[in-house]
Amino acid sequence: MSAERQVAIVGMAGVFPTCHSLENFSEKLFSDQSLIRNWELATLYGKNIRSTVAGYVNLSEMHLDVIMSTLVKDYPETYIDNLARIPAINLATADIGSIWAMIASIEAIRMAGWEAKEVKSEKTGVIIGSGGAGNTILRPGWNNFFELGIKSRTIGSHTIDRSMGYREAANVSCLIKSKGVCESIISACATGLGNIGYAYRLIKFGIQDRIIAGGIEETSIETFIGFDAMQVLSKGFTATESSRPFDKNRNGFVCSFGAGIIALEELAQARARGANILAVIDGYHNNSDGDGNMFAPSFSGQQRLWQGLMNDSGKQDKQNQKPDVVKVHGTSTPAGDAIELLSVVDFMGTDNYHLSAPKSQFGHMLGAAGAVECITALLMLREQKVSPCLNSANLNTEPEPFQLNADWLGPVEPLAAYRQLIPQKTVSKEINKIVCLNYGFGGTNSAISLSKFRA
Amino acid sequence: MTREEVMTGLVEILRTVRTIEPAKLDTITEETDFITDLNTPSTEMINIAAKAEQKFNVEFEDEDIDGLGSKVRDIVDLIMKK
Repeated sequence: MSAERQVAIVGMAGVFPTCHSLENFSEKLFSDQSLIRNWELATLYGKNIRSTVAGYVNLSEMHLDVIMSTLVKDYPETYIDNLARIPAINLATADIGSIWAMIASIEAIRMAGWEAKEVKSEKTGVIIGSGGAGNTILRPGWNNFFELGIKSRTIGSHTIDRSMGYREAANVSCLIKSKGVCESIISACATGLGNIGYAYRLIKFGIQDRIIAGGIEETSIETFIGFDAMQVLSKGFTATESSRPFDKNRNGFVCSFGAGIIALEELAQARARGANILAVIDGYHNNSDGDGNMFAPSFSGQQRLWQGLMNDSGKQDKQNQKPDVVKVHGTSTPAGDAIELLSVVDFMGTDNYHLSAPKSQFGHMLGAAGAVECITALLMLREQKVSPCLNSANLNTEPEPFQLNADWLGPVEPLAAYRQLIPQKTVSKEINKIVCLNYGFGGTNSAISLSKFRA
Repeated sequence: MTREEVMTGLVEILRTVRTIEPAKLDTITEETDFITDLNTPSTEMINIAAKAEQKFNVEFEDEDIDGLGSKVRDIVDLIMKK
C-alpha cells in the first residue's frame, strides 16, 4: 500500500452544449452565459411532452454524420467523423456518447502530454460511465425486432457494444489501447464524479498510475422523456431562465447532455516529467442516505458526506481547510436545492466562501454532470473565478416547511439569509481549494476536494 | 443471376462497410478472404450477410450463416444456391 501517493489532474476535455472547444466553454462560463436552448426535437411531440428546453449537442456540432441502415428502420448503422479523429473501426462499435468519450479522451491525453508507451501501459486505466443505457441504439433495434418482426441478425452485430453499460470505457480503451483497469461506475447523477473518485482511489492505492476518467450523457430524447414523465423538469421559463438553482420560483431541472473527461496521474510521476498540473485531489468520499428513499435528498446523508470528505482528505480541522468555493449539485429542483444549501451552511458556516452552481448555466447533464462540473471547477481554479448561479434572483425569505419541523436539526434561517454565498455573476477572487458535490437517485452522495498545486 | 453479377452487387455492399478499406476492393476476387485479406472484423460478417439478403432478395437459413466460410467465394456460392 502506498499511503503517501497523491493524485494530480493533468488533462481535461469534454463536449459542452453550444461550445466548440474547452476554451469556448470557459469563456461562456465566466461571461455568465447560458448554454440552454429550446430543443426543436422535443417540440415535435406537442402536448405529449411537458418540457422543451435542454442543453443538447447535435451531430453536426460535433462534426459527425450518421449512416442510417437500409435494413433496419430508423437505425443508425454507423457514424462518420468528418474531422477524422476516430478511425472507422472504432466508430463501428460506438454510439454517440462513446464517440464523444473517444474524442474527449484524445484531447485530454494530448493536454496531459502522455506518450504512447504511457497510454498503452498496464498502469493506465479507463474509468468512464454514463447514466443512461444506449437508448438511441436500443430503441430502434427493439422496435424493429419486436414490433416490425425482423430477424435479430438484420439488426446487425453492433447493438450490444453500442448499448452495454460500460460502452464508453470499452470504446476508449480499445481506441487508446490501454492495458490497465477498464470499468464503469454507474450511480445515476453522481456517475461523473463517481468515476473520477474511483479513478482517484485506484491511483492513490497504487493499482494504477494514470487514468482517463469521466462521465458521458449522449443527447437522447429517449432519456429526456423519462424525466419529463416524472414532472421533474423545469417548465414555464424561457430557455436561458429555466435552470435557476436556489431561486424561490424554481420548479425543476433542465435535462442536458454532454461529456467530461479528465486525465489523472500519480503526482510524483506527473511532477517528474514536468507535467502541467491542473489540480491535486485532496480527497474523495461517497456514501448513501440510508433512509430508504429513492429520490429525496438527505440532510444527514450530506452531513456524513462532508465529514467523510474531511476524513479522507486527512484534514480534520475544517477551519484551516475551508474551501474557497463549494461547487454544488444545485439542480433547480424545489427539494434538492434547499437541503443542499442548508447542509453546506451547516458544515461551512456563512463566511469567506462562495457557491458555484454550474447547472444554472448548462442544465443537468445526468451521468456527465459530475465530470463536466469537475472540469468547471478546474477552470475556476485556473481562472481564479467563481462561476455564477444564474437566475437565483429571489431567495425564499420564509423558512422551508421542513425547517419548521420539531425534528429538524439544521440551520433555521430561510434561504435568503445566505444571499451573500450565491453570486449571480462571475466573481474574481483567490481560489485555492474547491469542493465539488454531486448526488443521485438511490440516495447516493459524492464529494471531491480539489486544490491548486503548489510545488 | 450470374456469378459476375453477384460479385458486382457484393462489392457494392462491401463499399458501404466502412471498416473495409475501399482500395482493397479494387482487386477483390472470389478467392479474397474477408478476414485475412480485407481485415474485416469478424463481427461485420453478419452485417454483410444481412445486407446480401436484402440486395439479392434471398433469405439465408441460420445454418447457412453458421457454416459460412470467410472467402468471398463462400458467400457468392450461398447467394447462387438461393
